[in-house]
Amino acid sequence: MDMLEGHISKAFDGALAGLHIRIVEMGGLVLEQVREAAQAYTEWRVDSAERVLQREMKVNAYDASLDEEQLTLLARRQPVAGDLRATIAMSKAVGELERAGDEAKKIARNVLAQGGRPGPATSRDVRHIGQLAVSLLRASLEAFDRLDTSLALEVITQDEDLDLEYKAGLRRLLTRAMEDPRHFDVTLEAAFVLKSLERVGDHARNLARQVCSMGGHSRPTDDLTATSRASRLT
Amino acid sequence: MNDAVNDVTQDRKPKDAAGIPEEPHRRHIGEGGLNLKPSGRTPAPVSLEQRSGEKTVGQASVENAVFTCRDVNVFYGAKHALRNVSIDVGRRQVLAMIGPSGCGKSTFLRCLNRMNDTIPGARVTGSIHLDKTDIHDRQQDVVQLRARVGMVFQKPNPFPKSIYENVAYGPRIHGMTRSRADLDEIVCTSLQRAGLWDEVKDRLKRPGTGLSGGQQQRLCIARAIAVQPEVILMDEPCSALDPVATARVEDLIEQLRASYAIVIVTHSMQQAARVSQRTAYFHMGSLIEVGETDKVFTNPRHRLTEDYITGRFG
Repeated sequence: MDMLEGHISKAFDGALAGLHIRIVEMGGLVLEQVREAAQAYTEWRVDSAERVLQREMKVNAYDASLDEEQLTLLARRQPVAGDLRATIAMSKAVGELERAGDEAKKIARNVLAQGGRPGPATSRDVRHIGQLAVSLLRASLEAFDRLDTSLALEVITQDEDLDLEYKAGLRRLLTRAMEDPRHFDVTLEAAFVLKSLERVGDHARNLARQVCSMGGHSRPTDDLTATSRASRLT
Repeated sequence: MNDAVNDVTQDRKPKDAAGIPEEPHRRHIGEGGLNLKPSGRTPAPVSLEQRSGEKTVGQASVENAVFTCRDVNVFYGAKHALRNVSIDVGRRQVLAMIGPSGCGKSTFLRCLNRMNDTIPGARVTGSIHLDKTDIHDRQQDVVQLRARVGMVFQKPNPFPKSIYENVAYGPRIHGMTRSRADLDEIVCTSLQRAGLWDEVKDRLKRPGTGLSGGQQQRLCIARAIAVQPEVILMDEPCSALDPVATARVEDLIEQLRASYAIVIVTHSMQQAARVSQRTAYFHMGSLIEVGETDKVFTNPRHRLTEDYITGRFG
């Protein structure tokens, strides 16, 4: 937290810390959105999907008010160096969370449209990939909360695992569709849901990249993530 | 200081008629009893690479520099105001010097046209070369030096004369003109380059002190450029001006950069970021970091620079 504190102006410290805390709050809300949307789909629960849509308005409200706070901070404090990187990174983090929230909304809408309940095998795939996406988002939020660059680098690497799981899940889905083409529309919707969850993982990875840039790393390059991957393998 | 510099210093010992080296201690020369290193001939500037123990981080040297300063130290009596500052000033670029009060940035600026000569008890060591000429050389005429290195101060200080005379004064005393028409031409060009011509062309005979603060400062800039300097030094030139006049002067600095090297001391970090290509950060008499302005304000390399520009101490 050092990097957001220590200014002569305590009000500046307060403004940066306040922004940081509110983004973590927004992240908590988005995490719940993704978790509940995936559950609403796998358990085919309309009430859950409705809750997700209602809470989406709260996510948007966070997005709008954080935008405003960031503009005010830029205008009043004209941050430079580490403060400027932190402010821009926080602004981008809000964007990533907002888009992750949008993916949850898409999944919930799918349930509300009642197009067709996924079969047990598809539900299992969605649950599995949903859990991976949620845990990745949770880890990236923890990294953001503690401004922990090494955890952020882990997230960036782990997103590749999620991508592999997504591709495998999609292949299984298509195989099942070819075996029984009667429910192709359900398969198509399930593919969109899987894609949404994979996108949540991408947003978690991007959020982790912002943590790295706040920590003074320039954008984590392939080298950095390769190092992290190598250390994980050993 | 390292050996390379000491070697050069040894070479520079002047000899008297009998060939006996003069006392290698400081001697009083120039105005105000300034003590300087002995200086017989002009040695080549020492490149940064020849030096060791460099504490400044960043890129202190530039190619084809107009000013080359190496191991500059300034003492005011017992006070060591500037410590081993080595930096180049590039041509056609603005070098901003920032740092908390008393960090030595104005002291260093005043070294560049020997304004410290006027302060009793001031002592300058090290080498400062302007276009490969040692500005502390005994042959160096301080008046000529200050024509080559103009200065603009914090508070506008026009002479209590007409606008025309303010600008014409320098060219006249330096014998730069042969006729009245030449002088008129210089006054007109200088005022145009300072962005003041349109505002004053109908009242050139009126006193310069009757202009607004911002106009007075631009008049001082016109006065400085009238003698065709190579470098313009600016010591907080906008701190007494309102934001509109400040914007005009900053715009002018950007235009003047095409013809001159500019060194500006400013307390406004935003101003340093806006107008300069290189920024130097001073702290307690030492040059901590120097580098491209874009880098210094987004990703400074030294913790002290980061702490200062982000408002963590000062």
